[in-house]
Amino acid sequence: MMNFRTGLFAAVVSLAIAAPAYADKLDDIIASGKLRCAVTLDFPPMGSRDESNNPIGFDVDTCNDLAKILGVEAEIVETPFPDRVPALVSGRADVGVASTSDTLERAKTIGFSIPYFAFKMVVLTKEGSNIDSYESLKGRKVGSTAGTYEAIALEADVKKWNDSKGSFRSYQTQADVFLALSQGQIEATVVTNTVAQATVKSGRFKGFVVGGDSGYVTDFVSLIALRQEYGLLNYLNLFVHQQVRTGRYKELFDKWVGGDLPGLTVPGVYY
Amino acid sequence: MFNYTFHWRPAFNALPRMFEGALVSLQIAVLSLVIGTAIAVVLALGRRSDNRLFYGFATGWVELARNTPALFQVYMTYFGLGSLGIHLDSYASLLVGISFNNAGYLAESFRGGLNAIPETQTRAARSLGMGATQAFRLVVLPQMFRIVFYPLTNQMVWALLMTSLGVTVGLNTDLTGVTQELNVRTFRTFEYFLFAAVIYYLMAKFITLSARLLAWRLFRY
Repeated sequence: MMNFRTGLFAAVVSLAIAAPAYADKLDDIIASGKLRCAVTLDFPPMGSRDESNNPIGFDVDTCNDLAKILGVEAEIVETPFPDRVPALVSGRADVGVASTSDTLERAKTIGFSIPYFAFKMVVLTKEGSNIDSYESLKGRKVGSTAGTYEAIALEADVKKWNDSKGSFRSYQTQADVFLALSQGQIEATVVTNTVAQATVKSGRFKGFVVGGDSGYVTDFVSLIALRQEYGLLNYLNLFVHQQVRTGRYKELFDKWVGGDLPGLTVPGVYY
Repeated sequence: MFNYTFHWRPAFNALPRMFEGALVSLQIAVLSLVIGTAIAVVLALGRRSDNRLFYGFATGWVELARNTPALFQVYMTYFGLGSLGIHLDSYASLLVGISFNNAGYLAESFRGGLNAIPETQTRAARSLGMGATQAFRLVVLPQMFRIVFYPLTNQMVWALLMTSLGVTVGLNTDLTGVTQELNVRTFRTFEYFLFAAVIYYLMAKFITLSARLLAWRLFRY
């Protein structure tokens, strides 16, 4: 029969071995002292780089806020749109702060917080293209960033219009989309109002103009984390809620975007 | 830690679309090899030519094709020519880019092949009454293709794998394009990329094996 001391020893050892298994992602982040955020940096004003190549933008500030509240250091992991989920799954980042649209398809794979931002989609085109509304995109060469909310909606409409002259191209980065648009490989794209504003204002591309509203429903975007990390997801929900409640959301919005503050709720339904 | 549960069923449902993409990839690879081979014969002659201009042109092409990344070549065909106002669509850019690359690599193989054929072959053919072109076409060229057949097969496999670069210039109908579309829409990265890798592997094997079979039929004495 096992005596008391051996039993106690065994219990302590097994607890020590088993204990780390109970530490979830939120514990890991706090313990490691570092919060690694996947942020897309070719998506101004949400994420971009300043003259000295430092990451800046709404998403970068949001990540910094989150890290500060957790009492850890923020690390920005630059992540192009298509790589956001692989970055989380492979453990290169803890949280995605990268304007991720909360589609049901994606929710099968990744966990979403409540929306932390909302976009309206507009048509971006070049002067002299005679595109002044979403409907006039019919029969035109259009394109967008692969996998984004607007790319999926635009491609579906191009298929629906079924005009032999029209075509849809998807590019791997927002920068390539603008390059293609400025060179005339495509005649128009659909982007978020924020990106359109920032790009037209920056003057980096000559002749870019906003060609009207897209008429898509509001694109709500969320913070993302691994689907099974409920502790972290709960924390993110509370974090988003507090950002709005404390006025920090408005502050960041005024700093980076400006204009009418988009609401983050839909009337008539719980999240 | 690998924290991921595989969803195989949706991935299997997407297989037909991926096979369609695979056919497009194969089509581009075959076309680019045919175009590349045709150009490579000319370039190989240029590399052996005494005409400075012809030699310079062929050497320039070969140098550029062999010493820059294929990604750069495809990207330049699309965005580089685009900035000069020449708009090739994604499919054409990829085809041109890979053909350019194929031609450069094959030209050097062909040159080696031509060097391996003794000069006496041409002389013997000429003394039988053949013209210079006839001798080249009927005697030298067939022997060269026998010598370079395996490098050619190699290049075909390489061309197939290079078609995956089309995704960088907006191609969404080839295997990588389709895979990437599925990936970004559903975020089931590992399932789709695994399937794509298997399909690429099988296609490459198919090319190698059928080339062996073809060589066995064609090159028996």
